[in-house]
Amino acid sequence: MLTCKELVARSSDLLDEQLGWREKLALRRHLLLCRNCRRYLRQMRLTQATLRLLPESPSPDSERLADHLAELRRDSARR
Amino acid sequence: MPADDSELLSRLLAGDQQAFRTLVATYQGAMRAVAIAIVGSAHADEVVQDAWLAAVRNLDGFQGRSSLKTWLLTITANTAKSRLRKVRRDVSLDDLPAPHGSIDENRFAADGHWSPAPLAWHEDSPEALLAEDELRECLEKTLLGLSELQRSVLLLRERQGLELEEICNLLEVSLSNARVLLHRARLKVFATVEHFEETGEC
Repeated sequence: MLTCKELVARSSDLLDEQLGWREKLALRRHLLLCRNCRRYLRQMRLTQATLRLLPESPSPDSERLADHLAELRRDSARR
Repeated sequence: MPADDSELLSRLLAGDQQAFRTLVATYQGAMRAVAIAIVGSAHADEVVQDAWLAAVRNLDGFQGRSSLKTWLLTITANTAKSRLRKVRRDVSLDDLPAPHGSIDENRFAADGHWSPAPLAWHEDSPEALLAEDELRECLEKTLLGLSELQRSVLLLRERQGLELEEICNLLEVSLSNARVLLHRARLKVFATVEHFEETGEC
């Protein structure tokens, strides 16, 4: 049977749907029996969700850049 | 082309200032991640700037065959690549040490079982985790500790929600390399959250 270490090694591929059905089945079977790995995978999903929500550091000039781009667009439309 | 895009696009074509602000605020982060992965942080801002100019120049030619996001990221990747004298052939899979380590082989006994086992975290929602200022700073630090390519792959996947295939095409890395980069990055971020949950500090 698959070990915990092997499950962790393939966990990203599981999350990204990169596994064939046979491998996926082996992982699912391990997860059914292993509380630690279920916890790991649940917390890895939580980590992913946290990264998704982590605010991006705003770049200070972005509004000025946007205004400049809008101006360029209006100029080229006029021509 | 998604419905929101066509609404935004017509305002962009009309030169609407607010539309450009929305566009920049929405896509600047993803464009930066692509640029950093290809030319590095030192030149990324210039590349993003050039990519915006190119996008505005070519706005009339945008056909809507892809989403605005894909279109902008493709322009960014092309701008970045044309800046490189030679396209990087060998992708560095170097793994820099992270502040709180990773889930590496030291976490497993010889028989492949967890040792020690993963601890149950106190919080079970991303909102609750991010309510801790210290954890937010801690995550930023871990992200900055990743190699530029690794960080970009992680952010494009997790924050921007790009498919792996799209990331590979933009950055010209193989699928297997992207998978390795992403997995190692995730384990380091996981280790950071775990450390914080265990000790309450960064």
